[in-house]
Amino acid sequence: MNFIYLAALLFSVGGLAVLDRRLSLAFWHAGARTWASLIAGVGLFIAWDIAGIGLGIFWQEDSPYITGLFLAPELPIEEAVFLFLLCYCALLAWRAGERFLPLTKRQKQP
Amino acid sequence: MTYLILNLTVLAALALVTAPVLRQMRRGPLLLAAAVLITLTAVFDGQMIAAGLCVYDAALLAGPWIAGAPVEDFAYPIAAVLLMPALWTWLQGTGDAKSARGAGIRALTDASRPFSWVNTAYPFAAGYLLATGGRIDAMFVIGTLYFLIPYNLLMYGVNDVFDYASDLANPRKGGIEGALADPLRARVTHRQILVAAAVLNTLGLTWLLVNGSASANVMVGVVVFLVIAYSAPYLRFKERPIVDSVTSSAHFVGPLLYALVLTGQPLSSTHIWPILAAFFVWGVASHAFGAVQDVLADRQAGIGSIATVFGARWTSRAATIAYVGAAALLILLPWPGVLAAAAPIPYAISTSRFWNIDDARSAEANRGWRTFLWLNLVTGFAVTMLLIAVARLG
Repeated sequence: MNFIYLAALLFSVGGLAVLDRRLSLAFWHAGARTWASLIAGVGLFIAWDIAGIGLGIFWQEDSPYITGLFLAPELPIEEAVFLFLLCYCALLAWRAGERFLPLTKRQKQP
Repeated sequence: MTYLILNLTVLAALALVTAPVLRQMRRGPLLLAAAVLITLTAVFDGQMIAAGLCVYDAALLAGPWIAGAPVEDFAYPIAAVLLMPALWTWLQGTGDAKSARGAGIRALTDASRPFSWVNTAYPFAAGYLLATGGRIDAMFVIGTLYFLIPYNLLMYGVNDVFDYASDLANPRKGGIEGALADPLRARVTHRQILVAAAVLNTLGLTWLLVNGSASANVMVGVVVFLVIAYSAPYLRFKERPIVDSVTSSAHFVGPLLYALVLTGQPLSSTHIWPILAAFFVWGVASHAFGAVQDVLADRQAGIGSIATVFGARWTSRAATIAYVGAAALLILLPWPGVLAAAAPIPYAISTSRFWNIDDARSAEANRGWRTFLWLNLVTGFAVTMLLIAVARLG
């Protein structure tokens, strides 16, 4: 059992959470809505992964960096954390853009 | 199926569902998020693959690799940027008030017209059970559940969302025949409907596609495409005369046809094709007659339908003749299936009451539509008894 990949993912999620808290972007802006969006998003990506695995496109071999705990055949628990990271990162990047990118002239008009 | 086809299919479906909300959003933040995510993918994905965290079947890849990752992998960051801002925006308002949540679920079940749920699950379940000799397995349970809830949510929910403006002018929508979301809550409700439909359909369809045969997958793909095309913007099959009735009928015949293909039945057998053909003709006739009551409202709203083109009278007559035609097709079935030929006759009698209806009185056809709704229950019961008899004798 090896926790390197899982730890790296959780470290990255933690880094995003620090930014989120500092800038009040998602969890620190609307917690329930952020949970709902991320659960729905991760659910869709997991379905996509299962389709890819079922079609034999990609799979997980015995990597030395994973815990060996699986949600489903070929679907390690790390994948769910990775997808959470992906979705959370997309949400924060977009929210930050909404917050900090200047409005164009046209958008400023009511 | 190759990785490229899988990912393009997912991206296309996501783009179709999220486009209405993304189009109203600022471009800059979306492009920024896309740039960030694509850059991160280019930096880290190759390393994750090099570390052996994911292995690909080279035969199913398109070929090009970018920064140590197959080009197809870049569909993931793009999908995340389409999906997450859309979900966040759609879900705005949920959770703001606890009481709103119960209302949301009610609106969801109203949108998919529970009265009609069984009309799509039944053809699948009945077809599957008859074809397999009563085998109840995971495919039967998940297929029936899929056609019971997610499929209906997709069909009626998407329809209601895109029809909201024209339905608002129609007093008939609001009872068992259709749900009309409270205008103040409509925006929030519509978001919830689309999100729920997208999530439930992705999960259900993924399972069906992974576990079904290639021909069955093509079949269910066509069926789901027709459900979306019926009311989605641009395609709007429901506003294209004749295409509207044919597509509507396919919504109900589709689940049966899917069950038969899934179980490898010979569709050209005389036990099977008259049933499919008659069911299809019955569906076309029912949709066409259903459009008669809305002729004036649709014309006023500038919406096309089979009935606005042919007029109330000829549409009613065509429906009556089609019901008789459906009965004629069922006569071809061997005993005791031939008894099913009696089923379309009450429908023909009901619509024949409107043989001479004119456009000015077309709203009166609503009486015939109400007859249709309860006839479905009686006929459904009779057909079930017949199916049991066929199963016992066969």
